[in-house]
Amino acid sequence: MWAYILRNVWQRLILLVFVSILAHSVVHLAPGEPSEVDPSNPRMKPEDIARIRAAFHLDDPLYLQYIYWLRDLASGDLKSFKDSQPVLPKIGQRLLNSLPLFLLTTLIVWGLSFPTGIHAAVHRDSPFDRSMTFLSYTLISIPGFFLSYLVILGVVDTLDVPVIGMSTFGMDEAVPVFQWMDRLWHLTIPALMSAVMGIAILSRYVRSQMLEVIGQDYVRTARAKGLTEDVVIYRHALRNALLPFVTMFGFLVPSLISGSVIFEQIFAWPGIGRLGYEAVLARDFPVILTLNFITAVLTLIGTFVADILYLFADPRIQIE
Amino acid sequence: MALRRWFLAVPAVLLVALLQAYFWVPTYDQQSAGNPKRLLKYIEASAADAKILNPILNADTVSSGITDYVFEGLLGADQDLRLRGRLATDWAITEQAYLIVRPDKRLPDGTPVSAAELKKRILDARDRGGRSGLKGLLLAIDVLHPETRAETVVTPPAEGKPAEIRVKVRVPERLRFSLSRVDQDFFSRLEPILGSGYLDGFPYERHVDAEEPGARAHLHLVELLPLAEHNPVILFQLRRGVRFHDGTEVTARDVKFTYDAIMNPKNLSPRVSDFEPIKSIEIPDPHSVKITYKRLHSPAINAWTMGILPQHLLSEEALNAETENLSAAARAAFGMREARFNRHPIGSGPFKFVEWRDVEFIHLERNDDYWEGRPELEDYYLRIIPDPLTQEVEFRTGAVDYYGAMPHQVARYLKDDSYQSFSSLALSYSYIGYNLRKPLFADPRVRRALGMAIDVDDIIRYLLYGEGERTTGPFPKETPWYDPAVRPLPYDPAAAVRLLEEAGWRKNKEGLLEKDGTIFEFNLITNSGNPARKNIITIAQNAWKRIGIECNTQYFEWAVFLEDFVDKGAFDAVVLGWTTPPLDPDLYQIFHSSQSGPKQLNFVAYNNPEADRLIIRIRQEYDPERQRALAHRLHRIIYEDQPYNFLYTPRTTRVLDKKIVIVERDAKDQERYVKIYPTKGGTISYYFNKWRKLAFTPEF
Repeated sequence: MWAYILRNVWQRLILLVFVSILAHSVVHLAPGEPSEVDPSNPRMKPEDIARIRAAFHLDDPLYLQYIYWLRDLASGDLKSFKDSQPVLPKIGQRLLNSLPLFLLTTLIVWGLSFPTGIHAAVHRDSPFDRSMTFLSYTLISIPGFFLSYLVILGVVDTLDVPVIGMSTFGMDEAVPVFQWMDRLWHLTIPALMSAVMGIAILSRYVRSQMLEVIGQDYVRTARAKGLTEDVVIYRHALRNALLPFVTMFGFLVPSLISGSVIFEQIFAWPGIGRLGYEAVLARDFPVILTLNFITAVLTLIGTFVADILYLFADPRIQIE
Repeated sequence: MALRRWFLAVPAVLLVALLQAYFWVPTYDQQSAGNPKRLLKYIEASAADAKILNPILNADTVSSGITDYVFEGLLGADQDLRLRGRLATDWAITEQAYLIVRPDKRLPDGTPVSAAELKKRILDARDRGGRSGLKGLLLAIDVLHPETRAETVVTPPAEGKPAEIRVKVRVPERLRFSLSRVDQDFFSRLEPILGSGYLDGFPYERHVDAEEPGARAHLHLVELLPLAEHNPVILFQLRRGVRFHDGTEVTARDVKFTYDAIMNPKNLSPRVSDFEPIKSIEIPDPHSVKITYKRLHSPAINAWTMGILPQHLLSEEALNAETENLSAAARAAFGMREARFNRHPIGSGPFKFVEWRDVEFIHLERNDDYWEGRPELEDYYLRIIPDPLTQEVEFRTGAVDYYGAMPHQVARYLKDDSYQSFSSLALSYSYIGYNLRKPLFADPRVRRALGMAIDVDDIIRYLLYGEGERTTGPFPKETPWYDPAVRPLPYDPAAAVRLLEEAGWRKNKEGLLEKDGTIFEFNLITNSGNPARKNIITIAQNAWKRIGIECNTQYFEWAVFLEDFVDKGAFDAVVLGWTTPPLDPDLYQIFHSSQSGPKQLNFVAYNNPEADRLIIRIRQEYDPERQRALAHRLHRIIYEDQPYNFLYTPRTTRVLDKKIVIVERDAKDQERYVKIYPTKGGTISYYFNKWRKLAFTPEF
């Protein structure tokens, strides 16, 4: 068991190095220059650009730039090109902003997908199942940003309340209850909007998993034993249907960074996705690379945890 | 079964808990519900974040908008765009002029030139009064003894490598004139005394030695040792008792420090060119600053509207304290650009910096110690909202008090009573520019005819929804330099055809204009991505077609447009626009004939010696009245020449929460609410310190 874990961790570390090297080359080979040294900026003189390029090590060979990046990342000296601020605290702050949105979205997705998916599977071909199928495919086909804009306009026009940002601006000196509720409200709409697609997809998965399991022999056996339908469905069938979702859980972790770019942009949420997006537009290499690195780390951790969870969830899986 | 009930209960409770929050959130009309302090906060939306909150380092409008609140300059613009004192209570502009004594010359009556003789004659001429105009102008003359000066000159990198040349300048005997005001004609006034050839043919090379032989060829000798030199001098008197936000008094040392910081090459300040004409700054006492300029350059005074930095927070020692934990390499590279100050600025303006959260907001609070009295509003927030739709959404729900609306959004607000909107002329204009290098456009009658064939009023009516005004020249319409007596070209296609006939163009059988066997045909281009310009091109093409001119149109991506066509001068005619500075009538870069090289801004190659002379005189003139008269003449000349067909100046519209008003106090300290109104140049925030947000919507 421990040997397995150690070997697994070791393999992932090596993978991480390769991923970071690959990401580094791709980012640097992509066209475009950091906006600070953009030669078409009329305010910049060539010698100033040359000086900034030297300070950013932009003219050094790629492998040296990689080593500088790794060294600065390890020592915590890594600074953003854009504003010369340390990268790690910057990312940390944004991560904290994204976390509540991510958690609530996940909660809504998983909380709503399971009941609807199970119900649709149990009452297969019922009017509920059919309308859920229709709704799911509709929501999957409508781009999330478009739907979000419609919802924002609708809320603003009919309810006259703000929906953008992490809270209504200028509320920091309000009565505390009003502040909490205001924050909750601001969390609600973006979380619902970014959950919509997730619910549509995940409830389809739940439905098909349940359908597959319900057709199995052990379910028939359970029914034959005279167990109530609820026990059959929720104890015998659901437990087995849950297995594949352990894998999904592993991929959920990195989506903390990558999954929210669009909604953070639309709802002006100062989160990690928006930081990454803006870093890409400004070719802010240190931020892009570090975010990329963190995403890779999270993915590897997520899949690792999923692997371990399988050991416990599925008795058929044994370490060789 | 419990599990099943949980499966239903959890999501239901979750959704109810989330949605009930709606009832606690403030609406546009009830912004102070549960939040009475909201009325003391002013929130503005901006598409972009600030970059660096240091008035000498920032180059973007967002950063400078914030530093304008936090920092105070020596001067500022008043509601009529004239300079007014801020940190300076008073400023006097005088001049020191220098003239080299040339013993090789003889005076008109044959007497050899000597310092004593010159001084005597000039003082005599002054005391006689009369036509010389020296009376009241010339205060004193000093004789300066010869000296030798060692200097290091850095040649510009354009000529190969930037090189440092060490030179020795042997300055001969000179006369120093103290003048009561700046007079660019001072040396012409002396000409009857000096004789006509005195100011020509000075053997500069005899007075300048370069250490390396041959290097002298790269030097601008006239700059190293001018024969006749104008040194304008500004003496600022500073307001006493003005304090930075940390309580330290603002003194003349801070002014000098600010200048030194700008000129320090390590700081890479984008403002160097504004301050480069300064020769020296002296501090006679802690509340006066004496600034001496190298040459006549009247726009230079406007640079002092820039915020003054606190020396005690940014001096070498202060910066060194920040670098203690850094590596040696990082410490060597550390300059003002890296200072913590740029994200926590401390100035002496009406608002103090509180917090800057990246791409979220910048928070300022009022400075209770502000010398002009504390502002009404307690807090100023700049919210970063990149998306215009989001800005509108936040504005309509009361989470933003002000934003710059797009023209199509403006139409909605004009009808809506809940908001106040302001429309004012922008500081910019659109034009059609003709490449005067092409023989086709060499005749001013042709350019005038082309302009007369276009119905600009129609363009304004249909393209701008009436949100614009015709303009006739290169100055902003709201400034005194614009001459309102110059009337726009009339829309008169018939007269245009007559003008073209005078210029030799006749209609041929196909109805096209023809001269010496060639038809009147050219390309009109502009950049893509600008709908207004695209439409103007089509309108012009159509209008010219009607009088028999073949015009082909094309759009190019901005970078291509500039690099391949405009910079190289490889175009016939372009549709473009200029943004014009409000404080300064200098047209040197755009219309002076010396500025028509590759990548320079006079890309139409306008060349009129009289215009050149006026442009130079305007930038050397320090008297606003005379500057205005010169500008009016220049405006007229450029209008007569029509290097551009000047089209229109657009209006810009801003919307504001209607509950915000100006608070005026009368003599008895009675408060009175006044509707906010734009001042010249279109700013509505001129009275910002008197703004207050009411809990109700006032009626005016």
